[in-house]
Amino acid sequence: MKTNAKKSIMNLAPVFGLIVLVAAFLIVGHMKGINISYGLKSVINQSVVVAVVATGAVFIYTLGSFDISLGASVAVSAILGGMVYIKTGNLLLMFATCIGVAVLVALTNSVLASIFNLPVFVTTIAMLSVLNAMVLLLIGINGTGSEISVPSDAVAHLDNIPFKVAVLALYILACVFIFNFTPIGRKEKFLGGNPLCAQLTGISIKKYSIIAFIISGIGVGLGAFLSIVYAPTLTRSTASSVGMDVIIAIVFGGMPVSGGARSKIYAALIGAFSMTFLSQIMTLFNLNSGIGQIVKAAIFILVVFIAASNHRQKELPR
Amino acid sequence: MKKVLSLLLCIALCFTMLVGCGGTTNGDKDSDTKAETQAETQAETQAAETKEADVATEADVETEADNGIDMSETVKIGVLVADVTTAEALAFRSYYTQYIQNQYNVEFVYSDALKDSADEKSAIDTFITNNCKAIISFSSFDRMAQIDQCAKAKVYYAVATGTLTDEEYEKVKTNEYYVGAIGPSLDIEYQTGYDMAKYYLDKGVKNFAIFGGAVPYYTDMHIYRVAGMLAAMADATGADYQGAKGPAIVGKIYETADVKTGSIGDVNILGYVGGYDMDDAWFGKIAEVAQTSGLEMILAVGNGSDFFGTAVNGTDVKIASVDAYADSYGAAMDAGILDYMAGKFSASIGPIFAITYSAALGAPIRDNDGNAVALGQGYWVATSPEQFKEYYSVDNSLDAPAYDKADLDTLIGSDYATLEKFVAAYTFDEIK
Amino acid sequence: MKSNSIIKRVLGAVCIPIITFLIIFIICQSRGIALFDSKSHWIIFLRAVASVMLTTFALSINLNSGRFDFSIGAISLLSSVISAQICIKLGLPVVVMLLISIAVGMLLGLISGTIYVITKLPPIIVSLGVTLLYEGIAFAITAGYGVSFVTNYELTSFPSIRNYLLVIVIALALIILIFDYTSFGYKYRSLLSGQKVSINTGIKEIPNALGCYIIAGGLMGVVGVISSTNTGTIQMSLNFGSIGVMFTAFLPMFIGGFVGRFCNEKIGYLIGAITTAFISLAYARLKVDSSVQQIITAVILVCFLIYLNNEKKIFKFKKTKKE
Repeated sequence: MKTNAKKSIMNLAPVFGLIVLVAAFLIVGHMKGINISYGLKSVINQSVVVAVVATGAVFIYTLGSFDISLGASVAVSAILGGMVYIKTGNLLLMFATCIGVAVLVALTNSVLASIFNLPVFVTTIAMLSVLNAMVLLLIGINGTGSEISVPSDAVAHLDNIPFKVAVLALYILACVFIFNFTPIGRKEKFLGGNPLCAQLTGISIKKYSIIAFIISGIGVGLGAFLSIVYAPTLTRSTASSVGMDVIIAIVFGGMPVSGGARSKIYAALIGAFSMTFLSQIMTLFNLNSGIGQIVKAAIFILVVFIAASNHRQKELPR
Repeated sequence: MKKVLSLLLCIALCFTMLVGCGGTTNGDKDSDTKAETQAETQAETQAAETKEADVATEADVETEADNGIDMSETVKIGVLVADVTTAEALAFRSYYTQYIQNQYNVEFVYSDALKDSADEKSAIDTFITNNCKAIISFSSFDRMAQIDQCAKAKVYYAVATGTLTDEEYEKVKTNEYYVGAIGPSLDIEYQTGYDMAKYYLDKGVKNFAIFGGAVPYYTDMHIYRVAGMLAAMADATGADYQGAKGPAIVGKIYETADVKTGSIGDVNILGYVGGYDMDDAWFGKIAEVAQTSGLEMILAVGNGSDFFGTAVNGTDVKIASVDAYADSYGAAMDAGILDYMAGKFSASIGPIFAITYSAALGAPIRDNDGNAVALGQGYWVATSPEQFKEYYSVDNSLDAPAYDKADLDTLIGSDYATLEKFVAAYTFDEIK
Repeated sequence: MKSNSIIKRVLGAVCIPIITFLIIFIICQSRGIALFDSKSHWIIFLRAVASVMLTTFALSINLNSGRFDFSIGAISLLSSVISAQICIKLGLPVVVMLLISIAVGMLLGLISGTIYVITKLPPIIVSLGVTLLYEGIAFAITAGYGVSFVTNYELTSFPSIRNYLLVIVIALALIILIFDYTSFGYKYRSLLSGQKVSINTGIKEIPNALGCYIIAGGLMGVVGVISSTNTGTIQMSLNFGSIGVMFTAFLPMFIGGFVGRFCNEKIGYLIGAITTAFISLAYARLKVDSSVQQIITAVILVCFLIYLNNEKKIFKFKKTKKE
């Protein structure tokens, strides 16, 4: 009983980590006299895209798979969405394009992997290359050359915290429901934990892989839309850091990369906000880039180490 | 229990690391300030950088300017930097954090590397959270959005080492929170490229290669520099580039974001490389161009000797670059690889600091029509190792930089005419 | 019969680079360009072969064992920064730079491996942290300036046909020796095919994993020297900027996997590296735009993988069609 309680505590390490980071931000911020309420808004603004994309990606991670092309997919979806808005002036069409393109990319990834028997991760590596090239081509053919600029007035009314929190909350609630209260989530966890056994019971890995990618694609599309809302000028490097930020957020939030039963849908949210708070604290200490990154690396490994301390096995993990 | 203890230990460790690596408190500033002002060599400069968050104490700096402006309150200034690893960005950072910060009651808060306009927006949000009164920007993904964001938060905004396009300036010149821009205008960039090419054309050089840097990414300043080079070739030979002459060449380059090789009269462009792909194919292209038979000069819009330096080994090909004054370029000049350097000097960002600080102190400087400042400032051009050394020794000095406190004091709370005259006299001889 | 099998194996092994070369040769000829027009083209080609082959070894050593390692680029960066700084300060020759870089690379690999075996975290997570750590250290020790030794003719004398060939031959021989002819190699392969069973038979996994990280680190130390001596500069990377190096190794690794059925898998990686080096040289000679390069590379990768994973089906389809 006592062991179970300890296990639960250690499982919640990422949550404690976030609480500690929030506390550190508030305490140090107060000592340094920063504008804390503005800072909290800024944290939400900076976390929301990664949180949305990462939440969707949890479904892929649960299967024990890994998508390295998410950032590039956000970029392509946002650029195409932006181009559609410039042509039509219709915000809904822009939104639909962002979601549509992202889901299409996700479907391509999963269907290619399913039809041609490719490992999903390998497909996403190739997709990363294709999407990066598409970003360059789309920016190039746009005519203005270096950027695609959606008029800021067009999205200004959406660039507010209630809207972003609402989008994030709705998407997360939907994901939580699917993940925890439908057979999809249970079967995905089963597939991630023991694919062979799951398949022998009749669960199709191809089907659930496609479902996971579609859900993730919706997250990517929402992320692309929110990216435009936040920064309507899109360039060749738009969302270029989102891909790695998503991986870091998911892991930092306590999601096991091997997937399976221990997968947590809230990991992405916790991780995304933790990383942003950490960056804010770095700024408070005005660390130079190199030292800041060293500290970030150390904290990252420490937190993940603690979070995973309940699940060590005899062999080295792979 | 052990695990809970380890959790607590880790939390404590994280906190210790942050505190340990962060800046020292104001109480420690005296000793650090003294140590830093004695720093002369680059090694010392580098070592001191970890202490860059130190802010000068009120005892070290004046709390009131000669013209009565109250400087007693520490002013936080955010600095937006897109690429934190360039020689130029690092030299600028040293000047601000190790000279200016020790002379004035200011604290610079630097952004991390910025990759897009979303990063810019996040960094500005972070500066506002940190109560920065002003922001000096070296990042240009979306200038208009930056200015808009700053104005909404009532934070002053200034453009360092660059200028806005005419169209952009017209939109924001009356914005009271837009302080202005001081740096090479696009006309100056064009002229810089023109002068570089003309220098060699006058010497009778006929066979060139061009490194276009960020031309494929439609970066304005690089396009204007290349256009200047091509215009000089067209003027020298009476021919044209793709049917265009003079500033019209700018438009030709914008059409394709590329430079066509071939002849302009009897001058030959034997090779062209653009972008910063840094992969095997890209370095292959560089080697190809550098080894082109008959090639005499490589004109680079950016750091040419870093990329082409080893590739021209064993040839008589020389390189001309536009960048900042840095140690490595001095070595390249000594070795005869780099022959011409149009470089920004690190203190060139002094005047923009002065007017931004002045605005934050409640004494903004506007032009005669009440608009934001838009002043051009050119490069120091070195064409010999001796000249480079002379410039670099001043540029690299933290004791007596090109623009020292006494110089900048004349700008804080001054008027437009004083500022205009000061910035116009940017050449090495005029400053010294 | 035996000679038939040898011919089949040789043809199987060399068909990919030969077909690639022929396609590139035809394209170049149609544009009046010779692929190898001068000595410098051979240097470009061999440099690509050497660095890609070593990176592929470094990636595959751990990846084949299920250990995904993002940090190989950061190891290459930091080991070259440290070795170059020491050699510039002490005026040491490039051979010493190579040796120091290998030693530092091995040490960095050991550190990565140690973090992995102590924390028992999934290797991909460890490698994310280690990448940030090594990039940060490289940035901090050079104060962000990186290292420039363009005018140090001793250190920049490394690029030559002889040196690259030596690197390729020695590295290939050593890797084959270590992984195919030592007990370390046998244990490695045993762990690779059955982790639990191997451990139960008494094979110690931790020393073997550490060994793999050390070897991968040493190889990336050489890659660091190859790339830094090419330009005489080492540019800094932050926020995972160094992971791009890793992506150069995927195509040759998959080609190596295919060719591995006809010959030693390590030779397969060399053949994969030769194939990608042909492609890189062609991009340089034909001045292919970087966006087009990315698309071509991605399409080649996808097509190759589709073929690789569906080879049996394709042949079956061909057979039924014939019948």
